Amino acid sequence: MGIVEHSFEDNVLTTKVDWLVNWARLSSVWPLTFGLACCAMEMMAVGAAHHDIDRFGAGAFRATPRQADLMIVAGTVNFKMAERIQRLYDQMASPRYVIAMGACATGGGPYHKFGYTVVKGVDRVIPVDVYIAGCPPRPEALLEGLMKLQEKIRAAHVIRKPALPA
Amino acid sequence: MDFTGIHDRLSLIRAPGLLGADLPRKADPANKSLRARAGGPFVSVEAALLPQFLRVCRDDPRLCFEMLVDISATDPSKSATELWVNVSLLSVSARQRLQIKSSVPKQAPRLPTCSGVYPAANWHERECAEMFGLVFEGHPDPRHILLPEDWIGHPLRKDYEYPKTYHGISCE
Repeated sequence: MGIVEHSFEDNVLTTKVDWLVNWARLSSVWPLTFGLACCAMEMMAVGAAHHDIDRFGAGAFRATPRQADLMIVAGTVNFKMAERIQRLYDQMASPRYVIAMGACATGGGPYHKFGYTVVKGVDRVIPVDVYIAGCPPRPEALLEGLMKLQEKIRAAHVIRKPALPA
Repeated sequence: MDFTGIHDRLSLIRAPGLLGADLPRKADPANKSLRARAGGPFVSVEAALLPQFLRVCRDDPRLCFEMLVDISATDPSKSATELWVNVSLLSVSARQRLQIKSSVPKQAPRLPTCSGVYPAANWHERECAEMFGLVFEGHPDPRHILLPEDWIGHPLRKDYEYPKTYHGISCE
């Protein structure tokens, strides 16, 4: 760690604030417990022993938005549900992340043309960090999406002021 | 299934509104047009007399249809002047089924509710009401069942126009 290396006692670690905070955040991305359609079955499979999302620190599905960091929108979002999703997202504490899992949550999927009550993508309601293709996606795809989200978190800057909008 | 028997019994006891029966057809490979009307046999009943008819089907000891399986509707085409209402009955004890068809004019799609005869009709009728704009007179709970309460239009009508926006969410 550069010039400060070996200048403290042995049990002192030096690191960057960004690295430490991001490491803490990405290692415990707790998802919100809810599923909307068949994608939720794949999500449950990812939570179970074989695929085991807990390997990535995201296995603690919280039953309240106030304890959750990640919203996995697993399934078809219709207008009735969109309002609830928006409210749940608003209740989550920042930093919060959203994964749009599968074709429906990404863009309406098979209901895009004739689904009269289907929202054509959950990003019309809440901001989405990672989109996962598939109908439904394989469990590996959800894990890949989670890893992509972790990469995104790893690149974040914590104590730097965000750039002002132009 | 002895459908002819059911129909004979229905005509014998003069079930109200009974207009006729489509008897089961034998397959005719030469006549392809029959395929368009494939499906089980049915009886046609005048819509206004539907509850009375169902009461007979439920209470007559020779018919004893204990279960109302489904009430659905059909909008045959944009230019059609009528909506079809389809009712499915099942008798577990007599091991028989009955399909009942009625039609109501699209201009005034009103018919009496059957939920007094079969309580199961309650939710089926609510679904038909919001999807097709049917009005079930005397329904005890005429709210929407699937769609939001402020939804405009009846989605399963052939002339349904998709909404452009709903509560600020674009539908384009």
